[in-house]
Amino acid sequence: MAVETRNAAPDVQQKSPAVQEASMGGRRDKIGRVVAFVALLIMALIWLVPLAWAVDTSIKPESDTTAVPISWISSTFTLDAYKQIFAASSMLRWFFNSALTSVIVTAVVLVLASLAAYAFSRVPFRGRGVLFWVILAGLMIPPQMLIIPLFSEMQMFGFLNTYQGIILPQIASPLALFILKQFFDGIPQELEDSALVDGASRLRIYWQIWLPLARPAMAAVAIFTFVLSWNYFIWPLVVITSTDMMTIPLGLATVQSAYGIHYAQIMAAAVIGGLPLLIIFMFFQRQIVEGIANTGLKG
Amino acid sequence: MAVQQSSRQAPLKRGTRAEGTGTRWRDELIGWGFVAPFLVAYAIFLIYPVLRMFEMSFTYNSLVGAGGSQFLGLANYKELFSDPAFWSSLWHTALFTILSTPPLVIIALVFAMLTNRIRFAQWFFRFTFFAPFILPVSVAALIWIWLYQPGFGLISSYLGVIGLGNVGWLTDANVAMISIVIMTVWWTVGFNFVLYLAGLQEIPRELYDAAAVDGATPLAQTRWITIPLLKRTTILVLTLQILASLKVFDQIYIMTYGGPNFSTRPVIEYFYDQGFTNYRVGFASAVSAVFFFVILAASVAWFMYSNRREAA
Amino acid sequence: MIGGGKQIVTFWNLFGGGDGARLGTMESKFRKGHPDLGLKSITLAWGAPYYTKLAMATVGGSPPDVAIMHISRKGSFAPAGLLEPLHPDELSRYGIGPDKYLPEVLDSAKYQGKIYAVPLDTHPFVQYYNVDVCKKAGLLDSNDKLKPLQGPDEIIKALKKAKEVTGAWGLSFYPSNDPSGNWRLFYSLYSQMGGKILSPDAKEVVLDQSKAEKALEFMANLTLDAKVLPASMDYGGSVATFQSGQAGFYWNGEWEVTTFQDAKMNFNMVPFPNVFGSHLAQADRHSFVIPKGVDPESKKRSLEFISSMLKNSLTWAKGGHIPAYQPVLDTRAYRSLKPQSNYASAAKDVVIDPVAWFSGSGSQLEIIASGIFQVVMAGQLSPTKGVNQFRNDLQKLVNTPKPI
Repeated sequence: MAVETRNAAPDVQQKSPAVQEASMGGRRDKIGRVVAFVALLIMALIWLVPLAWAVDTSIKPESDTTAVPISWISSTFTLDAYKQIFAASSMLRWFFNSALTSVIVTAVVLVLASLAAYAFSRVPFRGRGVLFWVILAGLMIPPQMLIIPLFSEMQMFGFLNTYQGIILPQIASPLALFILKQFFDGIPQELEDSALVDGASRLRIYWQIWLPLARPAMAAVAIFTFVLSWNYFIWPLVVITSTDMMTIPLGLATVQSAYGIHYAQIMAAAVIGGLPLLIIFMFFQRQIVEGIANTGLKG
Repeated sequence: MAVQQSSRQAPLKRGTRAEGTGTRWRDELIGWGFVAPFLVAYAIFLIYPVLRMFEMSFTYNSLVGAGGSQFLGLANYKELFSDPAFWSSLWHTALFTILSTPPLVIIALVFAMLTNRIRFAQWFFRFTFFAPFILPVSVAALIWIWLYQPGFGLISSYLGVIGLGNVGWLTDANVAMISIVIMTVWWTVGFNFVLYLAGLQEIPRELYDAAAVDGATPLAQTRWITIPLLKRTTILVLTLQILASLKVFDQIYIMTYGGPNFSTRPVIEYFYDQGFTNYRVGFASAVSAVFFFVILAASVAWFMYSNRREAA
Repeated sequence: MIGGGKQIVTFWNLFGGGDGARLGTMESKFRKGHPDLGLKSITLAWGAPYYTKLAMATVGGSPPDVAIMHISRKGSFAPAGLLEPLHPDELSRYGIGPDKYLPEVLDSAKYQGKIYAVPLDTHPFVQYYNVDVCKKAGLLDSNDKLKPLQGPDEIIKALKKAKEVTGAWGLSFYPSNDPSGNWRLFYSLYSQMGGKILSPDAKEVVLDQSKAEKALEFMANLTLDAKVLPASMDYGGSVATFQSGQAGFYWNGEWEVTTFQDAKMNFNMVPFPNVFGSHLAQADRHSFVIPKGVDPESKKRSLEFISSMLKNSLTWAKGGHIPAYQPVLDTRAYRSLKPQSNYASAAKDVVIDPVAWFSGSGSQLEIIASGIFQVVMAGQLSPTKGVNQFRNDLQKLVNTPKPI
């Protein structure tokens, strides 16, 4: 796969404004920027409508949600739907389950994948090439298709309807390994050689040199692992057999059948379910976007 | 190009430094030791299930035990290949991939180019386009079911003005797949957008300035600078996108359950229906196995194609 | 009992929303009456995953002590040896013997002569009507009760009148993207003509072409010619449409009764109308089953639990389901429960899905049928072709080697 890496990340954004200003120039450029801005603004509004409509519906009284013609403004606004959702469902418990399992999955994925990525990138051991391809092939397997053998495996271990049951099948992530290996590949060998000459052990080199260097890549992997794990749907659907063990996506999908008819409540549940990650993203969006830029995942 | 390209193969030749058999043994030990934890997990939770899946595909294996693992040879495969429902579900997966990949790549690229051009409020656009991607699938699906609602849904109300008020977005067999694609574009385009944005920020401004001095129009700049220099990003985006699209299941499962009349059922749902609704685990495993080879073939073909293009 | 260690009954069910709350009330009555027993009640999502999990857990040797099962699902559970047979004497010891149910109800709990399930309720497909709309349409008698409707023409005429009053739709129903809806309607109509789908051993398709076409033509007429119902309506939309007064009638299972009561709307319920010669309506029954492989002691505790639940099923009846337990059905409290008791007679006039491994609630049969009929009702397939496709798909299921 075509992935390039870099050494000292040349951060384009850090260029001084003066340089950028000088390099732009031209009236046509300015018009172009205005046009771009307006076009983006229109698209952004379209992109926001579904979210806004969901929020709007969730704060309407139930009877107003199905009024025709539709209206953004309702007779009164109310938080009833939210109250009912919190009262009738185990939303808080689902949050906890999602947070706990996603955090553990992320931590374990980072440890396993970074250790292995380091070895694949830097340690010349026998069978390395073949092994790497075997693991890459894992990228091609739709996880949905393994649920039956995984289910019987978890049953054998007695892990049905447990946190272990949710977590374990997610911990071997070929994608995380792949991203980290690409990143390690781009770091100059000299760093390691000098440390090796100094007689440092591999574990220490990994710990003291590579991990700090890999921080941006680790951050990106962490974020994506977390998002994927938080949103994982089909496996919890199969392995979880009780309401109080459900994760957010799963709980929300059942909300529809339990409250099938109350649109304000469904939208309130959707808003609550989407909010935590949105807030996290709002705070960390710079890191996330730049994390991707720094991993070599950008191509 | 300002970006330094490292050698793809990390320098690993043994003998770049003084070594004896001791170091070599140590490398073996350390290499395998570092890989071991990942490998164990990978073996238990990926390789073993995959092998089990292949094994079961040759048996009568039923979810509820009866019939046991009676060996059937290729009977499951024979039945599978002669079932039109399998072929049509495979086609739906292909159709979804064909319909969803171009907009997911092109819209991402256009958004990224526009965003890269403007000088303020970039964060706002980054947030707006990427935000849906981090919503759980059930949230995105519930919102769109609500938007697509006939009668009092937002979309049919607004499009009623141009005479599209009575479209059964999720309920008309001719339209449902397109509705799913639209929802998917909204939901996941942000990921490709961010990848492109990262790629664009690597292109040195000076290239455009030089081109502008030579009188190149913005369109020409896009054609001759931006797109060629984003080739690697594009290949990556396409690869990840095709792999993701082929695995489509979740949103369809929630929004239409493969309907109306199976017109949107992807191959993974066919598998799910056979294995989970009909208890036919052996047969469902054969579906997995065949689909695995389809993806493998697609990946190999794509890999060879993109490698050739890159070399060119 | 020795020490303080309580014996626990684990119970799997699939009830959310209002049913879930009423179940909770009944469970707490059990807890109060049996301080020596613990109860672990686990609610799973409805649909295919529930039965899959139940089957897998039973096969894997870790089943719950007792579980809820739709009686229509017995065809995939009983022959696979997943259920514990229940002896009549054993049941009588707990006051839930065979004499406590209508014979029809008890029969549906049997497979090859043995009882495998204890029925909790019957939940038939019924007709709701909006009293205000129907009054304006002149469809009510002097007591504000719906005048009986009979035959396709009379029914369509009434629906059209209701449509004139609402200015939107005459009928609410969910033809669209629902795994069971169209099947429920079709099977009701088709059975009214005396039609059968499968031979008793489920080895042969005995679908009657002309009867099936007649049923489908009636369904397509609703959406295509009479236009009293939109083909694009899904489940959520159908509830909202009836609730907001945009339709005079609503065809669905009785389980939405509390939704409309909570919305304080003026509505009533009656059995599904006689369209093609009888009052038969599709129905299913929730029942308690004991998975195979439990030890005799826990079986006793489970029966104790089931008995307590049945005796308290008046609470359950408030959700619309008709209690299966005759002593509750005969109480004055139930008879004064309105509109629930208005359709209690429907419990006898029901048809349950044919018995086969691929049939029953949320099964492949229901999904396939509902999908085909949806396309027919949308006008994209003629009723004749719809029946043909249904027959082909049925034949395919019949030919498939039994996975159980």
